[in-house]
Amino acid sequence: MAEPALTAASGPTELPSSGNGQALVAARGLEKSFHGRLILKGVDFDMQAGDITVIIGKSGSGKSTLLRALAGLTDPDDGQIAFDGKIVFAEKKRTREWNTVRSEVGMVFQSYTLWPHMNVLENLTLAPKKKLGLKPAEARDRAEAALAEVGMAQHILSRPTQLSGGERQRVAIARALMMKPKLLLCDEITSALDPPVAAEVLDVLRRLKEEEGIAVALVTHDMAFASKAADRVVFFHNGEIAVNTTPENAFENCDNPDLKKFVDAVRF
Amino acid sequence: MNYNFDWDAVAKAFPSMLGGLGTTLELTVITIAISMVLAVPLAVARMARIEVIRWAAQGYIEVFRCTPMLVQLFWIFYAMPALTGVTLPGFTSAAIALTANLTAFMAEAYRSGFQAVPVEQVEAGRMLQLSRFEQLRYIIVPQALRQQLPVILSLNISLFKDTALVSTIAVSDLMFVSNTNAAASYRSLEIFTAAAVIYFVIAFPASLVTSAIERRMQNTAAPSPKKNRSVLAGMVPGSRPAVSA
Repeated sequence: MAEPALTAASGPTELPSSGNGQALVAARGLEKSFHGRLILKGVDFDMQAGDITVIIGKSGSGKSTLLRALAGLTDPDDGQIAFDGKIVFAEKKRTREWNTVRSEVGMVFQSYTLWPHMNVLENLTLAPKKKLGLKPAEARDRAEAALAEVGMAQHILSRPTQLSGGERQRVAIARALMMKPKLLLCDEITSALDPPVAAEVLDVLRRLKEEEGIAVALVTHDMAFASKAADRVVFFHNGEIAVNTTPENAFENCDNPDLKKFVDAVRF
Repeated sequence: MNYNFDWDAVAKAFPSMLGGLGTTLELTVITIAISMVLAVPLAVARMARIEVIRWAAQGYIEVFRCTPMLVQLFWIFYAMPALTGVTLPGFTSAAIALTANLTAFMAEAYRSGFQAVPVEQVEAGRMLQLSRFEQLRYIIVPQALRQQLPVILSLNISLFKDTALVSTIAVSDLMFVSNTNAAASYRSLEIFTAAAVIYFVIAFPASLVTSAIERRMQNTAAPSPKKNRSVLAGMVPGSRPAVSA
């Protein structure tokens, strides 16, 4: 895969290419350390629009830090990030372009982050009403559509405490969909769920990709989902991307000993 | 004990004591209303990333937490005029001192509540582009208030009782009027017993109502299986739900 050079000289409006066409996300040389420990060591990362990229690796290998950097929740110490052709992070800070594209990036977290003092409808419509200026009726229509997409339409007036873990995660996905994202970042969203419930949640992501064309970057240990639904598998090892390939290559023709060891450990 | 009670002294003093109660309640309401608002920015400043702001807020809180309220009251009424050349009326001095004190305690209660809100919930708000103010207004403050409601209401009830201190700077509150009547009638036992009963009659129902509000708010967050429980049952001391720290 050709690696585009993202430099300040390329300008904020120049679209970086990643070989197969327009990259939705292109990150170059991302570095991040916490308390003197380097978590990201010059990471280069690309995602195509509409792709599902599964990110795997041991705890502390840098997976979540990469997602948080792409989400704008953590600023890298160095490197560049482009989203949809616009440079959104460079020279150690967010650029003005970030404000124009940040609504196109949604994130779902490992812990259930629904606001417990609001019902499902209120959780979904708060941001669209405040940030997109939707009227209550418009916001409700959008909420009903988003909940229908994740199979939760009947719970529109429920409180988060009345929902199971899997239901809460599906509502959290619906809440992220309310802002019409092009990219959904999912940080171990199924790690606290039973396997059948986790499969239901992951199935929602697959349908979002197929029906809405939303790109998904998913940190998970669910290898079955990765092999069936992922377009790319990214293996993190010691703060670097050790493998970035197709699921077939990752799971069947893998010649990276660390990835083989990791996959065997997760499978059994 | 060979004491002859004379409750007529209380009957005679009662109208003026009710007038004093009015002053006490006025002072309580003003202090609580202003403190509950001022404590929000103080709590936010207490958690600020900029050290100077954080230290200034913490310094304010510690000054009022670590000195007696009576000293604060005297300082504002007697000492501040020497510094500023401005003498404030007793009621105004009392309102300022009580508000400054309650704001410090209230801010700590708010801060504790703010920090109890999981950071991921705030980050979820950030991801939905909510501004820092909107995160506070819609995500953090409602949950912090619910979390800290028992502490906040307890502070307010304590404040109501602590207003008795303002009698020392000649504000004619319930305590001041009671003291005056006791001195005039030589019936301290009856008058101060009546004063204690009046304070109790106000504070105890307030305590019961706070229990009911607390229960209702907890139920809103997590519906109880006992939906038909009576309001009265919810007020009974000891029936309060456990409050997580």
